[in-house]
Amino acid sequence: MAPVTTLGEFEQLLLLAVLRLDAEAYGASIARELEATAGRAVSRGALYTSLDRLEDKGLLRWAAAKGTPARNGLPRRLYIVTPAGVAALRDSRAILRRMWRGVEHLLKDSAS
Amino acid sequence: MNTAQAPEPIGGSPQPAGTALLRRALPRGIRGDAMLGDLLEEWRARSGTGRATCWFWRQALSVAIRYAGRRDREPEHTTAHQRSIRMAFDNLRQDVRFAIRSYAKAPSFTLAILTTLALGVGASTAIFSMVNGILLRPLPLPDADRLVYANELGREGGQISVSWPNFLDWQSRAHSIQNFALSREEPLTLTGIERPERVRARRTTANFLQVVGVQPRLGRSFNAADDRPGAEPTVVVSHEFWQTRMGGDAGVLGTPLLLDGRAHTVIGVMPPGFRYLRAYDLFVPMGPILGDRFLYDRGNHQGYNAVGRLVPGVSVETAARELVAIALDLQREHPDTNSGIGVRLEPLATRLVAQVRLTLLVLFGAVGCLLLVACVNVANLLIARGAARQHELAVRAALGGGRFRLMMQMLAESTLVSAAGGILGVAVASWLLRLLIAVAPEGTPRLDEVRIDTMACLFALAAAGVCGIVFGAFPAFQASGIQGQAALTRSRSAGASASSHRLRRGLMVVEVALALVLLTGAGLMMRTLGEITRVETGFQPAHLLTMRFSLTGDRWTEPRRQQFFTDVLTGVRGTPGVTNAALAFSLPIEGSNWNSIFIVRDKPIPPRPELPNAAFVPVSDGYFETMGTRLLAGRLFDAMDTPASPAVTVVNDRLAKRLWPGENAIGKSIKQGWPEGPGTWRQVIGVIADVKFEGVTVETPMQVYLPLTQESSRSLAIVVRTPAEPAAITSSVQTVVHQLDKDLPIYAVRTMDQLLDTSMARERMSMSIFVVFAVVALTLASVGLSGVVAHGVTERTHEIGVRMALGAEPRHVRGLVVRQGLSMALAGTVLGIAGAMAVSRSVQGLLFGVTATDPITFGTVAAMLLGVALVACYIPAWRATRVDPTMALRAE
Repeated sequence: MAPVTTLGEFEQLLLLAVLRLDAEAYGASIARELEATAGRAVSRGALYTSLDRLEDKGLLRWAAAKGTPARNGLPRRLYIVTPAGVAALRDSRAILRRMWRGVEHLLKDSAS
Repeated sequence: MNTAQAPEPIGGSPQPAGTALLRRALPRGIRGDAMLGDLLEEWRARSGTGRATCWFWRQALSVAIRYAGRRDREPEHTTAHQRSIRMAFDNLRQDVRFAIRSYAKAPSFTLAILTTLALGVGASTAIFSMVNGILLRPLPLPDADRLVYANELGREGGQISVSWPNFLDWQSRAHSIQNFALSREEPLTLTGIERPERVRARRTTANFLQVVGVQPRLGRSFNAADDRPGAEPTVVVSHEFWQTRMGGDAGVLGTPLLLDGRAHTVIGVMPPGFRYLRAYDLFVPMGPILGDRFLYDRGNHQGYNAVGRLVPGVSVETAARELVAIALDLQREHPDTNSGIGVRLEPLATRLVAQVRLTLLVLFGAVGCLLLVACVNVANLLIARGAARQHELAVRAALGGGRFRLMMQMLAESTLVSAAGGILGVAVASWLLRLLIAVAPEGTPRLDEVRIDTMACLFALAAAGVCGIVFGAFPAFQASGIQGQAALTRSRSAGASASSHRLRRGLMVVEVALALVLLTGAGLMMRTLGEITRVETGFQPAHLLTMRFSLTGDRWTEPRRQQFFTDVLTGVRGTPGVTNAALAFSLPIEGSNWNSIFIVRDKPIPPRPELPNAAFVPVSDGYFETMGTRLLAGRLFDAMDTPASPAVTVVNDRLAKRLWPGENAIGKSIKQGWPEGPGTWRQVIGVIADVKFEGVTVETPMQVYLPLTQESSRSLAIVVRTPAEPAAITSSVQTVVHQLDKDLPIYAVRTMDQLLDTSMARERMSMSIFVVFAVVALTLASVGLSGVVAHGVTERTHEIGVRMALGAEPRHVRGLVVRQGLSMALAGTVLGIAGAMAVSRSVQGLLFGVTATDPITFGTVAAMLLGVALVACYIPAWRATRVDPTMALRAE
């Protein structure tokens, strides 16, 4: 298993959004979070296929939850990040950090 | 941010039907449900308006596309049956994808086939829509198939209107007709509004609306009280009239309308779009005119016709037989007035479309020819392609492609091209139809009901299907001759495709024949129009302006009318730009408004059924000079012919020759009406040339002209001759009339040329359509011919190369190729002439001055076709001689 799974940028954003939303992560709220925080408008087709892909890789899991009147009572799929998902995020962050080391002075205005 | 919306009614969603459909495109089970739920939630969060709905569908589409084909991510166990279905589906998808790719690889072939289909299907769908809307679809009236129309037949068998006493007898005696109404068109003058106006009205018996089965939307229909002699005048208005002239006022009932100077109380408003034969502004009952004693004269046929509703279960034929029997009884009971008077009863729908029926059917036949030409062309193209792909298909067969699979492949290709052709065809048809409606002759019935509807779309798809699939796939498959290895082992250039070539040549002959039939039709129509424009009308139509007015109401007494006529003529003649002006009761071409029997003083009076009949036309002095009609003998009317002077008349040449053959007509006397009637004897003072009266194509009737001073009228046409463009003086003439009476509506303002044009509109339209069809067919046929010949040349490159290497002259080779092509064209021409002869009888009714088997037309058309065919064959023949013998031999 180990760090063979490298994450794409969009996959990272998705996993982070699910983490940020805690127990309230489902399709619509993830899309809203991406739009509000990352400024990314994403087509729902791309959203669901990416979520499915992360699920296939074992980085996400989901459970069904009851619907609300606003969604005509249709169920929600609530996502949580698996331990493997958290590990993958960590790896990605570590890779990024290593890559940033020594070049941060070149991008001074950046606040990261 | 989360679910901050107000409580919404559960179940609300953008277009529920669409949402249900979307569900089928999404993954099954909870995954799909959750996706749809997310989309709905977000749609609500975006306020659920139009923009949100737009967003909803865009996103739904993006999901549906991504998940298309992987609906079953969690397959339960699949049965063998399901697997085989899925495999067939996969195959189909592959076939379609392959077909699209192969069409994209041959763009010129694809363009040719799509253009052919679009033209053929488009033209036929447009004409089909006309036929469907006008001839086939039932009238938009309840139980329209039980409505019948009846009129009387004159002694010569022509249709005449129904006399009131005869109608009353029909009504009381006919048992097969449940309810029988009488009505006539009766234009009325509407005054008391800003601009006085001539409105379209229909005078009807009280039960009329009940018979046709449509009740007023507002107010009531006529009842028996409205039909009593001397009843207070009432009126039912059309929805359109109510909207445009009365502002759609709901309180309109009970208000008066001033019609022909009399107040009519509005009692009802019809539903929108109501039509009887055509659209009317108003309906008025018989009651107010039942005091008219002329109405009760059995011999008076005053423009009425009857409409009846059959007793359920009774056929039109039964009703017609019964009515004919009644008419025979009436002949016996009233020999003076009814001898020789028959009756004709037919379905209302038939009557309505009687004049256009033949034209439409002939055009439908023509477009059928065009569609067949297109079919043959498509077949030819696909066969050529099939033959060219023989090798490819043979390879696929050898590699294990089953015969069925390969056939399905071909079927998919032609289905795809048919569908595309059908869709393009509908687009072409809707464009063409708009054009057709715009050029259709004035007064074409039910034109407003013509549109591209579901039937038309089905027709287009069926036509495209027949064209592409039946004529395309099977011959193509046949031609490809998939027979396992056989095709692989055979040499490519040998006679492998002999059978396909034979088929193509056969089809080519048919195509040429069909093109010739269409060309002949176009030729005959052109000759007809030529003959019509050459007809001697008896007057000079150029630079003539006409318009009509009616002096209605009690205030127009005879002396006041005469004064008005004099004033109008003086005023108009004094207008700058006017050479001459006159008044007339009826105009040439437009038709007679007064036909009557008459007797001659110096001849024995024939029995009643054989009394001569003529068109009577009161005219002012200066009329013949204005019209440019030639005087053949005697003198014309002048200012000396007054009410006090001896009664005089001018007759036309036809009347003079018929009644006084070999004698001088001048000085003879005639009397209008029955022999014992009170009419005055009028002396013939002049004979003028015959003038075409009922259109251009109908034979000139006997004509009797009377001076307006001695035979007054209320409704007259002004004719004005001007050296300038006639339409330019319209307003100055109108001003003259309005200065004399500001309330007088002026209508039917037309130049005489327009009147003539209108009378030829049907012939002109038929001709234009035929010419377009013929040109398209000729183009398709010549391109097809060229293609077949070129194909033949390609197949024989080797042979030609050998011939040239052995010393054949290029012109010999050219001759060889051209001869082969021309033999097809010649065979097609012979077949086409035979075909055109066979259908000639059905088009005769549309022709004038030329027979349907006119040898000149046939000869010209055949020569033209062969000329085009020669050019079409020569091009590939010329290319054949440029074959380099060495190249041709090496190609092996």
